[in-house]
Amino acid sequence: MAEACYLCWEVELPERRKKGMKYFGILKEFVIDSGICSHCTTCANICPVRGITAGDKPIDFPNWIELCVDCGACIRVCPRWNYVPLKGMGDYIEILGAKSKRFRGQDGGLVTEIIASAMEMGEIDRAIFVGRDDEWKPVIIHVKSVEQLEGERIRGTKYSFADVIVELRDAVFHTEKGVGVIGTPCMVSGVRKLQKVVKRYSENVKLVVGLFCTENFYHHQLSEFLAEKGIDLTKAVKTDIKKGKFIVEFEDGSKTSFSVKEFDEIIPSGCKVCQDFSGVESDVSVGSVGTPDGYSTVMVRTEIAKKIMDYIRKKDYVEFTEPKPAVVEKLVKYKVKIHPYPPEKKE
Amino acid sequence: MRSRITRRVRIKTPDLNLVDRVKGHIDAIVTAAFQAIFPDRITIQYPRERRDVPDNFRGMIQFDINKCISCFQCSFVCPANAIMMRGAPDGRYYPCIDYTRCIFCHFCVDTCPRGALLRTKIHDVAFSSMEEMFATTEELIEPPEMLREDDTVIRYRIENGDLVLEKIEEIAELSTRPEIQVSPAKLSACAHPENCIACTLCYLTCPSNAISVKVVEGKRTFEIDPKLCTGCGLCVKECPTCTLTLIER
Ligand SMILES: Cc1cc2nc3c(=O)[nH]c(=O)nc-3n(C[C@H](O)[C@H](O)[C@H](O)COP(=O)(O)OP(=O)(O)OC[C@H]3O[C@@H](n4cnc5c(N)ncnc54)[C@H](O)[C@@H]3O)c2cc1C
Repeated sequence: MAEACYLCWEVELPERRKKGMKYFGILKEFVIDSGICSHCTTCANICPVRGITAGDKPIDFPNWIELCVDCGACIRVCPRWNYVPLKGMGDYIEILGAKSKRFRGQDGGLVTEIIASAMEMGEIDRAIFVGRDDEWKPVIIHVKSVEQLEGERIRGTKYSFADVIVELRDAVFHTEKGVGVIGTPCMVSGVRKLQKVVKRYSENVKLVVGLFCTENFYHHQLSEFLAEKGIDLTKAVKTDIKKGKFIVEFEDGSKTSFSVKEFDEIIPSGCKVCQDFSGVESDVSVGSVGTPDGYSTVMVRTEIAKKIMDYIRKKDYVEFTEPKPAVVEKLVKYKVKIHPYPPEKKE
Repeated sequence: MRSRITRRVRIKTPDLNLVDRVKGHIDAIVTAAFQAIFPDRITIQYPRERRDVPDNFRGMIQFDINKCISCFQCSFVCPANAIMMRGAPDGRYYPCIDYTRCIFCHFCVDTCPRGALLRTKIHDVAFSSMEEMFATTEELIEPPEMLREDDTVIRYRIENGDLVLEKIEEIAELSTRPEIQVSPAKLSACAHPENCIACTLCYLTCPSNAISVKVVEGKRTFEIDPKLCTGCGLCVKECPTCTLTLIER
């Protein structure tokens, strides 16, 4: 055997903020119940007994008092533990406006294009996508071939929490070449924390695509809210947030929109303390603002993303347009303004 | 066109004289008498006779508890889900076989890393109730119980293109088997400490108490005692982050 093996080894434990309480209890008290949990689901990924539940509900661990093995891994990977909000544009190599010639997406289909190209290049052999059911409830899809990306429901934005990071666990332990992950900024931070704690993740998660994000929703709250407005999501073909409006597009081409201000009540508290709009820790961030309709704004941040972008250029897979970084910057600042941390006390 | 001719044919008994007739009858009686005493047959008169089967015949299974390391491999591999691991007072788990399900593939015997499962040539899976078909660990340790009535071993031969049955007057030995080859004993070890999340599932799973865990100065320390580790690999399977591996001793 080439590698060294050990009969004795040690692992650093996180601080136990409350004596005599199991680590999940501490996470629950300081992150979940205190309202700053982002629902990134990283803790549910790492929980060795798979006790932490996510889905369409706040993070929980039913019967943790008995079943939690008290390893503290959830705390070690939680991006909101000792929370210092990330913000700003972050470092980037280049910023582009682009539209895929192969894939139609939410905006320019660039997320799908980047993943497809990374697969073609052999950088990754799988990626985790968020599809949806008839009710627009997110469904996780493990994409293992470019052909799979042709599915209509696999692309496009679903404004609901999805268990992407939970599913990353299986992908990371099965991949041969590497995994691509797509997620909102909180998920990106979760992946980065996982990579610090478990080497397997730093070796096998090769590409992290961040999505610009202001806030996300619980599916049941969003669909109830829309149902009250008389909107039947089963007939919708696209949901979008643009210029302060939540827009639902239907099969027959008609559209309905509301001001996002109306959604204030159902914005999860964890989103209200998040200041990272652009996904500063990603390899490449993609969003809609900063480019004309039908184009994606792409912020290339790391070498691997640069390599993929160069490949896309060489293959002539996309059409380019001039991006407006100032517009992105405006939203970056706006998010910090509307999401103060620590939260302002309500009277 | 040819006209169709229909004609009735009557078969007549051959016109034999008395001497020929008597001769014919005597022939028949002699053959019948001979067959009654030394019959030509290829069927085996089970259970009084038993067919001779090869040494690695896949019959009912016997279990050597002293060799078992409680690794569950037999139950994992069983394609018929016939093996149940049952907890024993010593904290380990040992196999039970449900013969209502067993398909006698002997994957369990082949896969056992310590050679704790043994082949027998017993194939008499006749029981008087379904409950009886569940062989508990204790029952597996003893050779399968059966009523022996046989005193002859039958072997088949092909002679001049004919299947010939050879009888040997002896009681068949049903437990002889070829020596099972086992690979050298293994030891669990930590191959990737950077993957370990300190969850202690290895420690909780280990049936031999070979893994100890201590918390010292904010660190959780793991130690594998090679004297206690049997190399069953349960910790390796249980580890959620692929930290552990089995190595040769
Ligand atoms: C909750 C949320 C809020 C967003 N808010 C903004 C915003 O305020 N401003 C802005 O400019 N852009 C925002 N975006 C990003 C934008 O909607 C598009 O996803 C982005 O521009 C990429 O478009 P595309 O055509 O390149 O992607 P496509 O090629 O269409 O691919 C979309 C990708 O998003 C993934 N995805 C969809 N829903 C989710 C989800 N719920 N969780 C994780 N991944 C998902 C899909 O798996 C797919 O890979 C938001 C996205 C999400 C998910």
